[in-house]
Amino acid sequence: MADIIGPSSGTSQQAATPEANQPPAASAAAAGPRPIAAKPAGQVSRRDFLWLGWASLIAFLGSSAAATARFFFPNVIYEPSQKFNAGPAESYGEGVDLRWLNEQRIWIVRTPPEHEQGPGFYAVWARCTHLGCTPNWFGDQGRFRCPCHGSNFNLNGDVIAGPAPRALWRCAVEVTATGDLMVDKAILQDLPGLREKAPFFARHDA
Amino acid sequence: MPETTQGPRAPSGFNLPDFPAVKKSVIDSQIWRSIFRGGIWKDTPRDRAAHVIGNVWLHLHPVRVRPRALEWTYTWGLGGISFLLYLILTVTGVLLMFYYRPTVELAYRDMKDLEFAVTLGTFMRNAHRWAAQAMVVFVILHMVRVFLTGSYKKPREFNWGVGVLLLTLTLFLSFTGYLLPWDQLAIWAVTVGTNMAGATPLLGNEGPFGSLLGMRINNDVRFTLLGGTIVGENTLVRFYVLHCVAVPLLVGALLILHFWRIRKDSFSAAPRDPNEEKVEVWPHLVVREYIAAAACTLAIMVWSIWMNAPLEVEANPNVTPNPSKAPWYFLGLQELLVYFDPWIAGVALPGLIIVGLMAIPYLDTNPKGIGFYSWKDRAFANTQFLLGVAMWFILIYIGYYCRGPNFAWFWPWESWLTQQPPPPPTWNVFGPKGDAVLPTWLGVLALGGGGVLAIVGPKLVQRDLSGKPLCLGFAGLMALVAIGAHFIGHLAWLQGFWLVMFSVLYFYFGFVLPQRHIRSLEWPRYVITMFFVVGMMSVLLKMGARLGFDIKYVFTLPAFNLNI
Repeated sequence: MADIIGPSSGTSQQAATPEANQPPAASAAAAGPRPIAAKPAGQVSRRDFLWLGWASLIAFLGSSAAATARFFFPNVIYEPSQKFNAGPAESYGEGVDLRWLNEQRIWIVRTPPEHEQGPGFYAVWARCTHLGCTPNWFGDQGRFRCPCHGSNFNLNGDVIAGPAPRALWRCAVEVTATGDLMVDKAILQDLPGLREKAPFFARHDA
Repeated sequence: MPETTQGPRAPSGFNLPDFPAVKKSVIDSQIWRSIFRGGIWKDTPRDRAAHVIGNVWLHLHPVRVRPRALEWTYTWGLGGISFLLYLILTVTGVLLMFYYRPTVELAYRDMKDLEFAVTLGTFMRNAHRWAAQAMVVFVILHMVRVFLTGSYKKPREFNWGVGVLLLTLTLFLSFTGYLLPWDQLAIWAVTVGTNMAGATPLLGNEGPFGSLLGMRINNDVRFTLLGGTIVGENTLVRFYVLHCVAVPLLVGALLILHFWRIRKDSFSAAPRDPNEEKVEVWPHLVVREYIAAAACTLAIMVWSIWMNAPLEVEANPNVTPNPSKAPWYFLGLQELLVYFDPWIAGVALPGLIIVGLMAIPYLDTNPKGIGFYSWKDRAFANTQFLLGVAMWFILIYIGYYCRGPNFAWFWPWESWLTQQPPPPPTWNVFGPKGDAVLPTWLGVLALGGGGVLAIVGPKLVQRDLSGKPLCLGFAGLMALVAIGAHFIGHLAWLQGFWLVMFSVLYFYFGFVLPQRHIRSLEWPRYVITMFFVVGMMSVLLKMGARLGFDIKYVFTLPAFNLNI
């Protein structure tokens, strides 16, 4: 601490001013910025040292807080696999199939040959794009209707009514060589134009 | 107990102990004296003061208070009852923890055990549930009372802010506790609630500008709250720790601050006459507090014996009950979510409500009406505040009684089994071509200009306008517009009714009242006050637009996820 210059008790006339730790040569310009050149080379003033101390303390506390915040983000999560075998493609009839709703939260839709994309499959993730509830399929109305805030979607998954901001997500589907339908809920698409193509639509002739 | 003197003889010949003497010997014993401070009780003012000061439990009270502070009809005991409920919740909550394990496998089983296999298990759970709901009610009522008596005004502004935080934390405690039973109600309320966090602007993966900051489903604020991407094992433990440890500690700390500031800022009750004597807290106030506490404890016990807390079937993360409703105190929020995007209804509006409530003492500089109920001196403040509270409860009412399967609108007298036509398609007013009817630039102009006019307008008219003819005139004008639109356009009568009702409500609360009462306020306070007033009324207008005209968004910019 010996190389720190403090306000000298001898220069009482200057000690009363806020710029008390300046050498006498700078006292005329006390109102202006402190002339750095006046400081002896290689020495840090007490004020600058304190600023450095406070800055380090704040940096330390800030980075500790950030590190603690990072603590709340788990690195490994134990959640079920998003990919599943939905059984033989041939077991599905045309239209919306609800058999995987309870276990996998998926509607499998089989399109008829006269459909604009031709015959095949797409899988809709049964998660409302509003706040994540599971809608119900109403075949007579041709709508998916959400029980939480009343969003309505048509068979394509597009929003008809209610607060949902975007269409229902579709999942990647494929018909394997063994004739099974594989669904991967980790690969999602909701844009018209893309969602009608592979891997979000699996063409399958009966 | 030593028999000290010859006691009075009972007629039957038995020797009854000399109770006053026994009491004296107990109180004078070294043990008693070491526990309870103070000398021999002579019931002097000094004794009564020393009793309050020298007792850790009572010492947050002042020694003497104004007579008005003792009146039931001033405080209604609401703050004290809220604190009592917090204590009941702590005790019953700790007891429940002895039998509850927060894992997906065991949580629901433990609920069933509490219900069927644990002595008094049902009672403790009921008491915990009902006391929690009562606490929400009493904290809200306490806030209304403090507002109506002007008790938040200088020098108590800060303590009002602490109170708003405590209200928020009370609701958060309810929310975190809601997941723990791990039934269908629990998982879906929390799924919806945490997905709202996912819609936070910038910090949520589904919020506006979230993708700009690289937010994904596994690194945003929702992920932190859940400890995963779905409501599962990690979520249950997180909510358990928040509910049982973290938040109660925080509430406890804020309660100490809250009480300390009441003591330091002094009770708000105003003197009835300028020369009145203050009244001693012991026994007058303390007795009233104990009576209220005993009555409330009894009420909770009776209620818990009489009614069981609901428990639905075990949580299924794939299937939502239909309809799925939040607990009643969040139903207003759920109803708001029908009309607004999640980041508005779930993040921005609650945030503005909290900030707006905390700002009230700094906006309302009216020095009149502190420490008593007054309507005339504080017509504007009281009306706007009560309008806000009323809107909150009307939304709750709609959510509770007017929403049926698929969250469709059912009137309370309609059976949920009746066939309802599915909701009609919605449309947007301003936005890009293809998404909306009118162009974006017009929307920016209309909403921006309209907003500025709505905020500034009332202050521009500096004359004293007469409220009644103005409102009647405006209502008549709107009725003419509605009738004209019915015959010229194709406006249905019901739509005309909605149009007149919502526009007249806006006109009265958003223009006439501010014009009459706060037009002389200086600009900064005036603009901030009007920002909150116009904001509150805009919520009403948007509801009218959706209910009456099937408008989904008044203004939409899909590229930025910005929809109003």
